[in-house]
Amino acid sequence: MKLKKCLSAFFALSLVMFFTGIGFAGTLTDIVNRGELRVAVQSGAAPYAFVDKNGDHAGSMIDFAKGMAEEMGVKLVILDFDWDGLIPALLSGKADILAADMTPTLKRALKISFTDPWIYVQPCIFTKTGASFQTLEDVNKPEVTVGVLLGSTGENIAKQYLPKATIKSYKGGGRMIVQALIAGHVDAGVNDDLAVLTVLPDFPPNSIRLLDKRLGQGKDSLAFGVRHESVNLWQWINLYFETIRENGTYDKNIDYWLKGVDWKKDH
Amino acid sequence: MLADFNLRVILEYLPLFLAGLRSTFFISIVSIGLAIATGILACACRISGIRLIKYPAIAYIEIIRSTPLLVQIYFLYFGLPTLGIRVPEIQTGILALMLNSGAYIAEIIRAGINSVEPGQIEAGVSSGLNYVQRMRFIILPQALGVTVPPLLGQAIVLVKDSALLSLISVAELTRAGQTLTSDRFMPSEAFFTVAFFYMCIYFCLKALADWSQRKLIFREAY
Repeated sequence: MKLKKCLSAFFALSLVMFFTGIGFAGTLTDIVNRGELRVAVQSGAAPYAFVDKNGDHAGSMIDFAKGMAEEMGVKLVILDFDWDGLIPALLSGKADILAADMTPTLKRALKISFTDPWIYVQPCIFTKTGASFQTLEDVNKPEVTVGVLLGSTGENIAKQYLPKATIKSYKGGGRMIVQALIAGHVDAGVNDDLAVLTVLPDFPPNSIRLLDKRLGQGKDSLAFGVRHESVNLWQWINLYFETIRENGTYDKNIDYWLKGVDWKKDH
Repeated sequence: MLADFNLRVILEYLPLFLAGLRSTFFISIVSIGLAIATGILACACRISGIRLIKYPAIAYIEIIRSTPLLVQIYFLYFGLPTLGIRVPEIQTGILALMLNSGAYIAEIIRAGINSVEPGQIEAGVSSGLNYVQRMRFIILPQALGVTVPPLLGQAIVLVKDSALLSLISVAELTRAGQTLTSDRFMPSEAFFTVAFFYMCIYFCLKALADWSQRKLIFREAY
């Protein structure tokens, strides 16, 4: 009886180790041997990564990921996750790269490694066109409620620059704050300007305006994430961006997806 | 993986979790109270013979039971303001939970009332008891015993459903876990703690359910 128990415990343990062992790959060599690059994206975050009219994955980060897979000579697999699912997906080995509009912070870097920033964005305050707010000081009052995205740099910036305002944090994409603003649940919102500008076409024209002055000291960076042990992949991604910056692919991507709005016609 | 489990971080965020627990507790208690009242009212209308109140009650119960709670919450939070009605987050949440559970509770109570054999009601009629007396002395005492366990089951469901309120920026227990996750990228620590606290609430309610059932069976025997 005792032996049977020991055996089954041993069996269960080895089964667990077997499965965790399988998930635990993801260095560059493993990707090439496997023939598959797995990239975790946040679904519904246009223009970074989203599902277009035809049901295909599209977006700036998707194009970068496609380029990476092509250079590696492997197949690209896009995995859709909610924001909260991204890190577990990366850490458990389901994904090799985390491609979301994520800002590297020192706290986050305790868990995953970030590549060099691939773009810089700026947090801004936005409000309804009819609202009277003009400057930071107008918004920084106890009776003003400000909507932010939970865990975003916008949230930290809002707490830092608008300490007197009442802050409500929402979960989900940048659309949630605009939705809450239009519904009147918040008086203003803080998010990166690019994220605000790209969702505006989905709302009634001229209903939202951005305050002229951007927040924060400098610019806020966005970067890809990999596991701590995937050092070679991390270096490879940095080299990839260096290469496409030289050959113009990078500028083409940024001009199409982030600077212009022509992609809305195609996707 | 288990070696990475960071208890120190949970302790660091413990005040946040306790504040969330308090909020979840408050929202649940208020919602359960209001839901039971709504349920009783809806059930009374549902079993009434007057069509003018019977059909609205049927419509309410069926609409609520056929749509997901998340959709109801989003409708109340984002949909109603376009009609000119704006309710703050916590009140929206309580309202959604109340309306949602109220419909289920109405059906639970109706099932309890229907479980009383028609023969007993006929016996009541022939003994000369009027409608109110039949309800008071024959149906409700028996229906109560059948109703209370599923009612507490519904209360447990409501507590867990209140997690959805984190999506409309209510700072409850699940939101505390989400905050820890987005600050420190530690989902296992965060949601293990959240789950632990929900389990605590669950076992408290379950103990209450068991206790009330013993009490009710005891009363029924006499």
